[in-house]
Amino acid sequence: MKPARHSTILDAGIAVVSGPILVFSIYLLAAGHNQPGGGFAGGLVAGVFILLAWAGGGTALVNRLIPFRSSALMGTGLSIAALTAIVPLFLGLGFLESGYVEIDVPVVGTVKLVSAVLFDLGVYLLVIGMALRLVVGLGEAAPSVEEPEEGHA
Amino acid sequence: MLALVVGHALLALVLVSARHRVGRSAFLIGALGPAATLGYAITRLPETLDGATITSRVAWVPSLDLTFDLALDAYGSVFLLVIGGAGVAIFLHAARYFDGSAKAATFAGTMTLFAGAMTGIVVSDHLLSVFVFWELTTITSYLLIGYSDHLARARSAALHAALVTGAGGLALLGGLVILAQESGTYLISEMSATLEAGPVTTVAFALILLGAITKSAQFPFHGWLPGAMAAPTPASAFLHSATMVKAGIFLVGKVGFLAVAATEWWFTTVAVIGFTTMIIGGWTALRQNDLKLLLAYGTVSQLGFLFVLIGAGERNLVFGGLALLVAHAAFKASLFMTVGVIDKLTGTRDLRLLDGLRTSQPVVFWTAIAATASMSALPLTFGFAAKEAAFDALIDRGPTLIIVATLASALTVTYSIRFLVGAFGAASSREEPATAPTGTRWGLIGPASVLAAVGIGLGLVPSWTKGLFESAGAAVPGSVSSKLAVWPGFVPALAFSLASLAIGAAIAFTPRLIDAISGSQQTLPAADAVFANSVRRLITGADRVSGTIQNGSLPAYLGTILFVAVALPMTALVDVQDLEVPAIGSGIETLIALVILAATIGLVGVRRRFAAIILLGAVGYGLAGLYLLLGGPDLAVTQLLVETLVIGLFALVLRRLPAGFARLRLQPIRVAVAAAVATFVFILGLGFASTTPEPVATQEYLARSVSEAQGQNVVNVILVDFRGLDTLGEITVLAIAAIGAAGLVLPIVRANREEDAA
Repeated sequence: MKPARHSTILDAGIAVVSGPILVFSIYLLAAGHNQPGGGFAGGLVAGVFILLAWAGGGTALVNRLIPFRSSALMGTGLSIAALTAIVPLFLGLGFLESGYVEIDVPVVGTVKLVSAVLFDLGVYLLVIGMALRLVVGLGEAAPSVEEPEEGHA
Repeated sequence: MLALVVGHALLALVLVSARHRVGRSAFLIGALGPAATLGYAITRLPETLDGATITSRVAWVPSLDLTFDLALDAYGSVFLLVIGGAGVAIFLHAARYFDGSAKAATFAGTMTLFAGAMTGIVVSDHLLSVFVFWELTTITSYLLIGYSDHLARARSAALHAALVTGAGGLALLGGLVILAQESGTYLISEMSATLEAGPVTTVAFALILLGAITKSAQFPFHGWLPGAMAAPTPASAFLHSATMVKAGIFLVGKVGFLAVAATEWWFTTVAVIGFTTMIIGGWTALRQNDLKLLLAYGTVSQLGFLFVLIGAGERNLVFGGLALLVAHAAFKASLFMTVGVIDKLTGTRDLRLLDGLRTSQPVVFWTAIAATASMSALPLTFGFAAKEAAFDALIDRGPTLIIVATLASALTVTYSIRFLVGAFGAASSREEPATAPTGTRWGLIGPASVLAAVGIGLGLVPSWTKGLFESAGAAVPGSVSSKLAVWPGFVPALAFSLASLAIGAAIAFTPRLIDAISGSQQTLPAADAVFANSVRRLITGADRVSGTIQNGSLPAYLGTILFVAVALPMTALVDVQDLEVPAIGSGIETLIALVILAATIGLVGVRRRFAAIILLGAVGYGLAGLYLLLGGPDLAVTQLLVETLVIGLFALVLRRLPAGFARLRLQPIRVAVAAAVATFVFILGLGFASTTPEPVATQEYLARSVSEAQGQNVVNVILVDFRGLDTLGEITVLAIAAIGAAGLVLPIVRANREEDAA
């Protein structure tokens, strides 16, 4: 199901902004622990991208750009979040307790990897899944234009 | 011990996954489970008999102090011997009873899993693992009863059993938790007899008792057990006579002496329930024409007796009770298998139709003779020795109990005779009698014969088992004065035993009396009818409640939510004194506030939906701007993004709605709700501005953010670390909401797709 009208300008615009939007989305996720952002905000940016893609090319385009089922994304996200909460218990740590490792990456310098970021990744995936499901679901529930019925408040 | 329990589960897994290949050997493989249990219990007997408790502890979630604590003492050994011994016999019997279908193999797997769960209950030292295994037996029992799932009768019987024992299980959980909190430990072995008497302890023991009553089919919850006879006979023999129904008895035996010490009502309650069950079960057994139902009600009756003896928390009673429990497991499992054989050979279990089995199936006949001899406690059987011990202990508790027990035992003798005469005598009906072909099916009847022989054999040398039952009751204060002997001598208990035999036989051989009983009108409402009624009432009641609450009107939902949201906090806000009007903020803040205000006013006024959404977005963006100005970039970003996404989604939804709003009449109640919300929010805003809470939480989070969570964005650290559990809950809700919202439009989506395809 495609939106009713096709717009070249929209298509071109989407092509231009898609890359930056996705990079921004991933940046928000990665930087969230130390800068404004985080998994939730990053996921929302990706959600806006999905909305844009749907407006440009309908469900077909969205499915091509994001080749995952919304249920898989939400399930994976929720599982990752739940696992990062539970796994520490089996390691003798507290519920949701996070650990971290520091690794030296050439050029970039020392990078601190905190396991809580994994939790954030779960949130990120779940939010994308939610946006995907809502956009495609509501989008496919297409207009029934010829219904001049009495409105409800 | 852990390997024992896990091994059962693995066996079950193998059987179920290889169900298409194992064929007839399924039950032979499954028999390894109970065989291991039996072997383990026997090899550890030297230690347990000495009063030692074998323990094993496996820590699995160390930070929550969650451990598998297993313990085996002599008391547990008695039950393990029963589970293992009866289990091996019944599995061997079942190997011949079933065809080699995949469904039968699944059944074998389920039964093996059940055997493991039962073993688990017995060896668990932790109250919570007792509960888990307890529930596992409920679930496996449900599956086993519902084996003939094409029959509505089997399905409803399975559900009945699962609901009653499941509800009891919930009560049990409550009781166990309270008990653990009161005594300060979840470990049964650490529980002392010094529980303080009081209402809390009373509630705990009452709940545990409720769980035990339902599991062990005690009055008034006994109705599920006869229904459970819809299960294939091997399951009935194993679960509903030898093991599962003993779980409740196991439990009251475990806590009985604690309860007696901590409450005043325990013994009386247990005695009233148990003896009522015993009488009702025995009486109803006399009215049955189905051999299996006769045995089922007989089991209800015997369980009642065991319940009193073992739950009494008194050394001698427990001693006799445990002996009787072993005797009962042997003869009742044997009799159930006998009925299974008869059913298999003749195609009926109706005792009015069966004819000539005494001559055509002599081995079956003699097996039944041996088992019923023990059941009706004829001298020289183990049943007799055990009942003597029990009677001897009961005599010490006053005349009422022993007289009731004698009368109830007389009923046992009567239905034993009815069983024998009905199954092996001549047909009494005018219909076509059912006969069996000659030729002994050793594979089917052999295990039953062995069990029946055990019941007789132990009776000849009861001293072999005396030590076991003595050690088994060691936790209970007091000492054993009762005997377990092949001939007790001329003691008072003998008189009661002989009296029950005489009365029972007299009733059985007085045709007028027996006809009167079996033909009499049922005076008590049948337990299963009561159950069916209460379930129906529950469902109609639930329908009515949800029909009232969930009436489907959006304005009503919204009004209720808003009203509650206002009314509850408002009462708290009444206390807030000195509301100050805060100073007006900077120029840009004021500007944004004015924009929000203008957008809101416009929102109420516009007639077109699209315009309304744009204005709503303006309010949201304005708020985001305020957040940014007040120093919350994270909040601002999130607000901005949510607003954008929501406007987009709204736009999608709008396509299905008319472009404009209908003109609304002002309804007083809506105006009132709106006014209340507005007032509330205004006062709330003033209240927040007027109080300056101590920023303790903020400071602490700020201080710990980098050092403990390695993050400099404290908002994010709070979300993913400090308050990660909240976030986990929130994203779960988010996922559910997304699935629900998409589900609401699913019918439209499907219709559209079909239209496209057409």
